[in-house]
Amino acid sequence: MTTRARTRLPRSSRHRRRLKLLLLSIIAAGATVLAACDSGGSVSDLEGEEGEENEEQAMEVDPEHEGEEVELEFWTFVDAHADFMMERAEEFNAENSDYNIVINASVADYEDMHDRLLVALQSGAGAPDVVDIEIGRFGTYLRGDVQLHPLTDVVDAHRDELVEERTAPYQLDGVDYGIDYHLGTWVMFYNNAVLEEAGVDVDEIVTWDDYIEAGQQVAENTDAMMTSVETTAPTSLLGLMKQNGGGIYDENNELILDSPENVEAVQLISDMVHEHGIAEAPPGSEHHETAYYEAFNNGEYASVWMPQWYMIRFTEFMPDTEGDMLVRPMPEFEPGGFISTMGGGTGTAITTHIDEEKLDAAKEFLGFAKLTYDAQVALWTDLGFDPFRNDVYDDPALTEPDPWFGDEPVMTNLQEMFDRLAPEYTGPRYPEAIIQLAENVAYEVIEENADPQQSLERGADQVRSVDE
Amino acid sequence: MVFMLPFLVLFGVFRVYAVGYAIVLSFQDIEGIGVTEWTGFSNYRRLLSDSTFFTALRNTALYTAGTLLVLIPVPFILAAVLQSKLVVRQSALRSAFFLPVLTSLVVVGVVFSLLLTTNGLVNSFLGLFGVPAQGWLETRSLAIPAMIIMAFWRWTGINIIYFTTGLSNIPSELYESASVDGAGPIRKFWHLSVPLSKPIILFVTVLTIFGGFQLFVEPLILWGTGGGPGQGGLSVVVHLYRTAFTSFQLGYASAIGVVLALIIMSVSLITLKLFGFFKKE
Repeated sequence: MTTRARTRLPRSSRHRRRLKLLLLSIIAAGATVLAACDSGGSVSDLEGEEGEENEEQAMEVDPEHEGEEVELEFWTFVDAHADFMMERAEEFNAENSDYNIVINASVADYEDMHDRLLVALQSGAGAPDVVDIEIGRFGTYLRGDVQLHPLTDVVDAHRDELVEERTAPYQLDGVDYGIDYHLGTWVMFYNNAVLEEAGVDVDEIVTWDDYIEAGQQVAENTDAMMTSVETTAPTSLLGLMKQNGGGIYDENNELILDSPENVEAVQLISDMVHEHGIAEAPPGSEHHETAYYEAFNNGEYASVWMPQWYMIRFTEFMPDTEGDMLVRPMPEFEPGGFISTMGGGTGTAITTHIDEEKLDAAKEFLGFAKLTYDAQVALWTDLGFDPFRNDVYDDPALTEPDPWFGDEPVMTNLQEMFDRLAPEYTGPRYPEAIIQLAENVAYEVIEENADPQQSLERGADQVRSVDE
Repeated sequence: MVFMLPFLVLFGVFRVYAVGYAIVLSFQDIEGIGVTEWTGFSNYRRLLSDSTFFTALRNTALYTAGTLLVLIPVPFILAAVLQSKLVVRQSALRSAFFLPVLTSLVVVGVVFSLLLTTNGLVNSFLGLFGVPAQGWLETRSLAIPAMIIMAFWRWTGINIIYFTTGLSNIPSELYESASVDGAGPIRKFWHLSVPLSKPIILFVTVLTIFGGFQLFVEPLILWGTGGGPGQGGLSVVVHLYRTAFTSFQLGYASAIGVVLALIIMSVSLITLKLFGFFKKE
């Protein structure tokens, strides 16, 4: 938004200037432009999302199909999600004679899509039938009169098989409103080539103390650093906070940003950076930056903790890590404690603006597309995401050893962590808390050596002040 | 009148009504969908204790001041040089300076996020003068300078055009008679070009102030969440936008908008006053 585009030259009377003044004040008062950028979710760097034009994709209607034709307007911010849903719709139509689902997918960039959805729901016109809402923004749509359809019955039909923790972020008062694309199991990715050079046996790292010790060995014996901590994104901090039983909200919907568990976790990170010298800010300050990919690819880091969906980055952007990467649980804070949690996510929801007669079809389709056995296998085979349905982990597609990752059955190993998975809860001010973590706490603690407790308290105060 | 109607209708609906409604909203508490409550001045009171707003205001003011410091003198001097007989191929140069203006801001953002990385071109260039490499996009105190560098590259061209237009309106007789009186190029520049360009300098200054206070897309493109390292790049409009679309507090966001409009208006009026705009001529 700029005023310079209008090149009207002076010579003008005062009144024209006043008009201009007025015009500009108006712009300042009301207008905002929508720009493109993601806060670092599971897909942000895999998509050409920067300034991408909106893209419409419609399925072809099968005229032979005997079922009732149901057109569903689907909004998402990830191309691959649109493809995924359209493929599931084709499968659904092939197996189902009642409904012939036609997906009209519309892909916009992250900010743009979420803002348009808010405006559409607020104004009561133009909202889609089905929509992807990112976990960081989901809370925004659960305030006031919720404009999303309860999906509890859809989830109930499969609940026994699901990793229960994954449904919590999209619930309000026990009612489900969204269904995710992945579990996002938090893991430690080790570059075994670096660790071997340092003389560290990965499987001897069990606790965070072991990890720090190994990190010191890496620092002494190699040119690499043990790990890196994002300073302008929430991910690194949030992973450990949740693993330690903290996080942003608890199960009672209370904000716990400054809880003792969180302070302990952030203190641990701070110590890794400032006391033990085994961690630093990554090049480009985030784990989704080209500069960081290059550095990791060159063996400058021995490990990084990120959710499972980060796996694709190694195969896509860090070619030299082939065969050297190992996926392991997070080191534990205490014996028998949590060794993982979940990170990122996108909930697919049905808005209340959908035509009443389409609702049943939409719910049936959503259950089919997201929660059935085949759909959950497809989450892994099509999208590279870890499914959150337990029984699919025995499927041949998921038990295959992965040569890139030490020739190990990564997904099978992943499933063994599921009973020590710290839950995650979201709440009404989740998005604001994420901003505080990303922009203030992470930066202050890592770059300026601020006291973790004080920094978290300041962040929590900021979040609470939104509702004062 | 009939011919003006389309403009008046559009202006009425999208400007006058929008502003009026924003002012109305600023006295309401709107949270979630369909929940509206009149709350008097409470949004404005809240603004006084909102430290994020003051961080954003400080950043925005610094950015505006920075852009004024570079975007007035440099383009003016360049315009004068381009205008003089010292330069050949004036129009080619002028187009070259103008090109950045036409570049999409998103492209600019992507390019600059590469230029400003630690081993990027900006640091290599500064390295020639012995300046050590800076983490432009990763350091709180460098966030605003990084955006000023971007603004400088982007807006120099258009300001050169403004200044060139102003300079070409100065009658050449004045320069000739100054030459007859023995004035050199620097004296002519200082005693003729500068004072006679006062109206256009004022115009560009006010435009730069407007542009500076509306800082929005740049931080959003350079940093994912829009606030930058340690919120060093957070602008008032980004704060407004996040209040509206992340916190969904449309009433409070409108209050921020109204206050920002008042701030821009006062700063502009002070500028006009300092330039002697209100003096009877």
